[in-house]
Amino acid sequence: MDNIDWPTLIFQMIWIFLLILLFTGGNQKIQMKLWSIDIRNKLKIIRKYLEDDQRKIENYMRNLGMDAPSILVKRIINYFTIEPVDIEPTDIIKRMDHLIQTSERTIKKIIADQLPDVGVYERSLVETGLAIISVINSIYKVVLHYLLTSEKEHNWVLLMQLQLIMPQILRLVETYHESLDPFLHGKPIGDTAGAYVAYRLVEEGEIISHKIVEDTSIFEVRLDDRRIYVIKAKGPGSNVGRPGIVLAQLVEELKGNVDLVITVDAALKLEGEKRGEIAEGVGAAIGDPGPEKIAIERATTKYGIPLKALVIKMGLDDAINAMKKEIYEACERTYEYVRKLIKEMTKPSSTVIVAGIGNTIGVP
Amino acid sequence: MIDLETLIILIVTATIMLIILTYLEFRKKPKKPEYITKELLECIKCNYRLEQDFEPGDFISMYKRKCPRCGGLMKIKAIYAVEKSFKHHI
Repeated sequence: MDNIDWPTLIFQMIWIFLLILLFTGGNQKIQMKLWSIDIRNKLKIIRKYLEDDQRKIENYMRNLGMDAPSILVKRIINYFTIEPVDIEPTDIIKRMDHLIQTSERTIKKIIADQLPDVGVYERSLVETGLAIISVINSIYKVVLHYLLTSEKEHNWVLLMQLQLIMPQILRLVETYHESLDPFLHGKPIGDTAGAYVAYRLVEEGEIISHKIVEDTSIFEVRLDDRRIYVIKAKGPGSNVGRPGIVLAQLVEELKGNVDLVITVDAALKLEGEKRGEIAEGVGAAIGDPGPEKIAIERATTKYGIPLKALVIKMGLDDAINAMKKEIYEACERTYEYVRKLIKEMTKPSSTVIVAGIGNTIGVP
Repeated sequence: MIDLETLIILIVTATIMLIILTYLEFRKKPKKPEYITKELLECIKCNYRLEQDFEPGDFISMYKRKCPRCGGLMKIKAIYAVEKSFKHHI
């Protein structure tokens, strides 16, 4: 026993152990366990965010006079909308619009029934708050599903992909989690940029008329010797309105006598682009699933009206969190840009439509 | 042939390197800036501007308070978030 060279023996044992692991796939099992632990830890964080947000919104609803908000929360966060059939594209926009509207109206009605004595403003904040929790809940359920499936099937490729994408998912969840506060307090968010630019035109111009159609405000304003129709969601609650449909109706009402249509919206920036950068282009700047955008495109195409787009670049965290000062300053620059564009592209006495797209929270 | 002392030195060196690498990895993570929401008030008479903390329920164009300079009404001109440590000018 005295002649045994222990260090060499330990080294040999380690090598043999590693070889056995390599040939039996044991190393992969260890790796899978490590990935699994990492995903579970991140899932715990997501679960915590979900529970915190649920508690916050339940307290908010309790303060508004609701007795058992948890039942409503449970009902809304599991609410789903099935996408229309796309292998038969005929009428897909109509069908999609119908499904989206049915879904939105149903959720609004459920909340209104539960909070009958609460104003539209507070109800809109509850609706958006519940939508945020619903997103976090869906992400949590999907990640958990893939984790359990990959563990059950010993699918290390799936588990590895999930582990690699987890930091990105966690950042997304954090963004949604942080956005609950501005929505519950009614603060303007980055996505309010389009609505704010539209509001500035109304503020500076001479208001001729004002009407509300489908939760969307239409202001007829005289500014810079032009007749400008400003379209934006009705504020100051959390609302996106139906700017596309309303714009199309307005173009029809004016029998196509419109010289220019400008859409202003917040746009997601690419990594490396500066927050608050303004970009000009052609087309409908609106990020809906389809019905609103196509309505603008069809209406302007029918009458050959130039369709311009102005976007303010920002990240997703900027778009759904309290509006940062840089974005507010960019909005002011965009407002000046819109006026310059109108003067450049139209003659005095022309008719122009400006649609400020996005959530109008905090902006009337 | 490796003697026991060399083996211990190897293990200790590897452990120290691991600790240093872990520390550097943690240090690399940039701190997320904290934001505070402010509202910019403007007097409709004398255009005097004032910045104050946002209060829940406030919205742009809301008449908030009287102007400390001329006594006119002050309207919320803008609501925005600024970095907590950041010193800004109106």
